Amino acid sequence: MNVLEFKDELFQKGSEKGFKDMELYYEKSDRFVCAIDKGEVDQFTTAEVTGVSFRGVYADQMGYAYTEKLDESSIEFLIENALENASVLESEDVEEIYEGDSNYKDISFSSEALKSVTNEEKINFMKELDKEIYAADERVVATNFFTMQSVDVQKAMYNSKGLALEDDQNYLVYMVIVIVEENDVTKSGVHIEVVSDWGKVNAKESAQKAVQEAVSYLNPLETDDKFYPVILRQDAARSLLDTFVTTFSAETAQQGMSKLKEKVGSKIAGDNINLVDDPFMKNRMGSRTFDAEGVATEKLNVVENGTLTTLLHNRKTAKKDGVKTTGHASKVSYKGTVNVAPSNFYIEPGSQSYDELVQGLDEGIVVTNLQGLHSGVNAISGDFSLAANGYYVKDGKIQGPTNLMTIAGNFFELLNEVNEVGSDLEFGPSNVGAPSLLLKGLSVTFE
Amino acid sequence: MLNHALVQDVIHESLTTGGDFAEVFVEDTFKDNLLLQGGRIDKSLSGRDFGVGIRVYNGFHSAYTYTTDFSREGLLKSARQAAQAINGNGKVNVQPFQHEQAPVIHEINQLPQSVEKARKVNVMKNAADIANNYHNSISQVRVNLLDEEQNVLIANSDGKFVEDKRVHSRMSIAAIASNEHDMETGFYGPGAVQGFEFFENLDLNHYAKEAARIAVTNLGADPCPSGKFPVIIDNEFGGVIFHEACGHGLEATSVAKGKSAFANKVGEQVAPDIVTYIDDGTIPNEWGSINVDDEGNKPQKNVLIENGILKGYLVDQLNGRIMDTEPTGSGRRESYRYAPTSRMTNTYIAPGESTPEEIIANTEHGIYARYMGGGSVNPATGDYNFAINEAYLVKNGKIDKPVRGATLIGNGPKTLQTVDMVGNNLGHGAGMCGSLSGSIPVNVGQPTLRVSEITVGGRKEDA
Repeated sequence: MNVLEFKDELFQKGSEKGFKDMELYYEKSDRFVCAIDKGEVDQFTTAEVTGVSFRGVYADQMGYAYTEKLDESSIEFLIENALENASVLESEDVEEIYEGDSNYKDISFSSEALKSVTNEEKINFMKELDKEIYAADERVVATNFFTMQSVDVQKAMYNSKGLALEDDQNYLVYMVIVIVEENDVTKSGVHIEVVSDWGKVNAKESAQKAVQEAVSYLNPLETDDKFYPVILRQDAARSLLDTFVTTFSAETAQQGMSKLKEKVGSKIAGDNINLVDDPFMKNRMGSRTFDAEGVATEKLNVVENGTLTTLLHNRKTAKKDGVKTTGHASKVSYKGTVNVAPSNFYIEPGSQSYDELVQGLDEGIVVTNLQGLHSGVNAISGDFSLAANGYYVKDGKIQGPTNLMTIAGNFFELLNEVNEVGSDLEFGPSNVGAPSLLLKGLSVTFE
Repeated sequence: MLNHALVQDVIHESLTTGGDFAEVFVEDTFKDNLLLQGGRIDKSLSGRDFGVGIRVYNGFHSAYTYTTDFSREGLLKSARQAAQAINGNGKVNVQPFQHEQAPVIHEINQLPQSVEKARKVNVMKNAADIANNYHNSISQVRVNLLDEEQNVLIANSDGKFVEDKRVHSRMSIAAIASNEHDMETGFYGPGAVQGFEFFENLDLNHYAKEAARIAVTNLGADPCPSGKFPVIIDNEFGGVIFHEACGHGLEATSVAKGKSAFANKVGEQVAPDIVTYIDDGTIPNEWGSINVDDEGNKPQKNVLIENGILKGYLVDQLNGRIMDTEPTGSGRRESYRYAPTSRMTNTYIAPGESTPEEIIANTEHGIYARYMGGGSVNPATGDYNFAINEAYLVKNGKIDKPVRGATLIGNGPKTLQTVDMVGNNLGHGAGMCGSLSGSIPVNVGQPTLRVSEITVGGRKEDA
C-alpha cells in the first residue's frame, strides 16, 4: 500500500467515524551506520524505515495514533485509537488542522553530493581516520563509539483541508572518543564532525583534533576548590543552552514550568546577549521551511540585547496568548505529538576568539564539557550542578587539565553574568549553537 | 507474524556471501502513552511499531539491517544488504526450525490493549489527586502512564524459532512544589512486567505521596555543601550508581574488547568482601525481567561478584564467540532497530548484615542520599556523575536537615572498593537504561549502603 492510497482510505474511514479535520504525517528514512575498532569494521547497519502519524479532530479534541505498518489492519488501529484518545483528552486549548500559508521559502536543505557518497567510501575514510588516530600519538590506546552515520529523511504532510507539503533532508556525521593512557592513568576526548562537503573531509586533521582533545586531559593539576571566573568553551556552552532551551517555549511557560513565563518585554540577560532562531541555515539539524503544523517558518530574534522579545509558539500556544504563531510547532517524529521546539537556536557570536578569552584571564577555569545534563539540572529553577572536565588558566595561559570537577550555578543568573561572548559559534550535531562564554564566575569543586 | 518459509528464505538470502550465522527478529508492538498535567489529560498517544531486523555473522564480524517493509521483496532486499557487508567462506547448514513459544515466567493478567483508556485515566487521576492534596505548596503534578505489548519472533540459522509476548507497564509521577522564590521537583516511577493489574494494585498512596513529599522537602532545603564525605545511599533506585559504574563494565560489550576495568579479572578481588553483585532476569514480573532474551536464550541468575570476588560477566552470543564463553541470557535490544548486545536485567547488590539505622548511627558527618536521580558514566575511565533527588546531612549519627542540588562524582571501580557497610533491606527500583542496543527497561537495586568517601558537588559556596 503506498502512502497516498493509505491516506485516501484513512481519511474516508475517519470521516465515516466522525472525525472532522484530519492529517497524515509521513516520514521515510534511509540510514547507514558504521563503526570502526582497531582497523576493523565493528558495526555495519543499513536501514529503511517508514512511519505515519494520524491526527484528527473528534468531539473538539485532537486524537493521535501512529503506525509503522502500512496495511489495512493499521487503518483500523489508527482510527480506533485516535478516536479513543480524543475521547479521554481534556485539553482546554484545542489543536486545529491548518489549511497552510500562501508562500513557503524556496530553499533546499538536501545535498545530492552527500547522498552520492558510497558506503564503501565512508568506510574507507573511517579506516584512514582510524590509522591517523593511532599514528598521531603513542599514548592512544583505543577508541570508543567510533561511528559514522548518514541519514536521508523524507517527510510529507497531507491534510483534509487540502494542504500537501514535502521535504527532503540528509546529513552525515561522524564521532570518535579517543582513549589515551599515560602512567596508568586513562583519559578520553570526544570529537564530532558534521560533514557538509565530502570533498573537504580530512582524516589527518580530524585525527589530530580528536587526539589533541584526549591528550589535553592527561596529567591533571591539583587545584583548589573555589569560586573561579569560568570560560564555557563553545561545546560546553552549547550543551548547557540546549538543556534549558525548553524554557523559551510558550508551551512550557503555559504549563507553569518556565521562569520566562510573563517575562516577554523584560530584561532576562545582559546587554551582550542576543538569542536568535534561524530556520534557513544550510547544513544545520533544525532547518525547515514549514513547521509541524504546516506553518511557513521565519527567522526570529528571541532575545535582543538582553530583552526577551518573544517565546517560541505553535498555533495552539499562540492562540492562548493572543499572539501570532512563530512557526515552532515540532514533532520528534511520527511517534510524537505536536509540541514546541526551536529550529536552529543560538547565541549570536561576539568579537573575541576563544584564544583571546583565555589570554584575558588572570586566573580561572575553562570548562570543555559537561556531564549529567539530563539529571543534574533543575530545568524550572535553572539551578545546575554538573560534572565537568576542563583546564586551569593562570596569567592568560592554559596551565593544564584539572581533575574531574563539579560546577554549580543557575542558568538564569548566568545569562546576566556573561563578561564576554566569544566569536566561535558552533552547532555540532545539534540544532542549538553557542560561542564560548566568559562568565563572571562559578563555584567549582574538584574530585 | 511472518511465515516459516519466508523467514527461511530471508535467512538463506542473508548467508549467500559466506556468513556463518543469521538471525531474523520480527517485532509488532502496541503502545499507549498518556499524560496528565494541571489536572487534565493533556496527551494520549497510541502507536504500533513494526519492523524486521536481520543479523549476519562471519566469525567475529557482523552486519545488521532493519526495515519496516514486510513485503517479500523488501525483506529479501534487506537480507542482501546485510550479506553485502560480509565476505566469508562459511558453509552453514541452515537447520529446520524448532517452533517454540517462550515459557512464561512472568504471568500477565490484563493485556494493556484490552483495557479501555478511560480506566487508565482513572488511575492517573487518583495518583494526581493524592500528590496534589499532600501539601499546599504543590503547584503542579504530572502523571505519565506508559504501557506496551511487544510481540516478537526470533529465528536463526541454528533452527531457533521462538515467539514471545512482553508486556510492560509504568507510571511516573512528578510533583512540583513552589513558593515565591523557588520551584522544586519530586519524582517516583514504578514499573513492572505486568498488564493493567499493575496499575490496579499499585500503592498510589505511597508512590504519589513520596513524589510530593520529595518536592516539598527540597523546597525547604538549603543548598548542599560541596566536598568529600562519607555517603549513605538508600536502597531501591540507589543502586543506579553501581549499575552505571560497575554493571556496564561487566557487560561483554566492553569486556570482550578489553575496554572494561573488570576485563581479565575473573577470580580476583574487585570489591570488599561484603559486596555481592547479581543480575537476575528471572525475578517474577520485575521491570527488568524477561521470558526469553532477544537472541532467543533463557534468562538466568548471574552472580557477577561474590563476596568481593569477580565471578563472571553478562554475555551475548557474538561477544560469547569472541570471549569463548557461553551466553548468559543477556542479549537485549530496545527494538528491531538495534542489534542485540549484552545488557543488564534486574541487577542488585545482595543484602548484608547491617540495619539501615546502624549505618546512619555509625556515621559522624556525611551525606544521606535517600533518593538518587539519574547520571552517567564515562565507560573508558569509569568516571561517573549522579544527581541526588533527596539528600540530607548526617551529623553525629543522626539524619539532620535536607539539602538540595547535590551531585556525586567519582570513579566506579574505586567507589566499589570503598563500600564499607551494606544493609539488610534489599529493594529494587525501575529505570530505563540507554546503551548500544537502545533504551531498555532494567531494575537497579541494593540495600542501604555506605561508601567511605565520595566527592559531592553542591551550590553552597562556603563548603
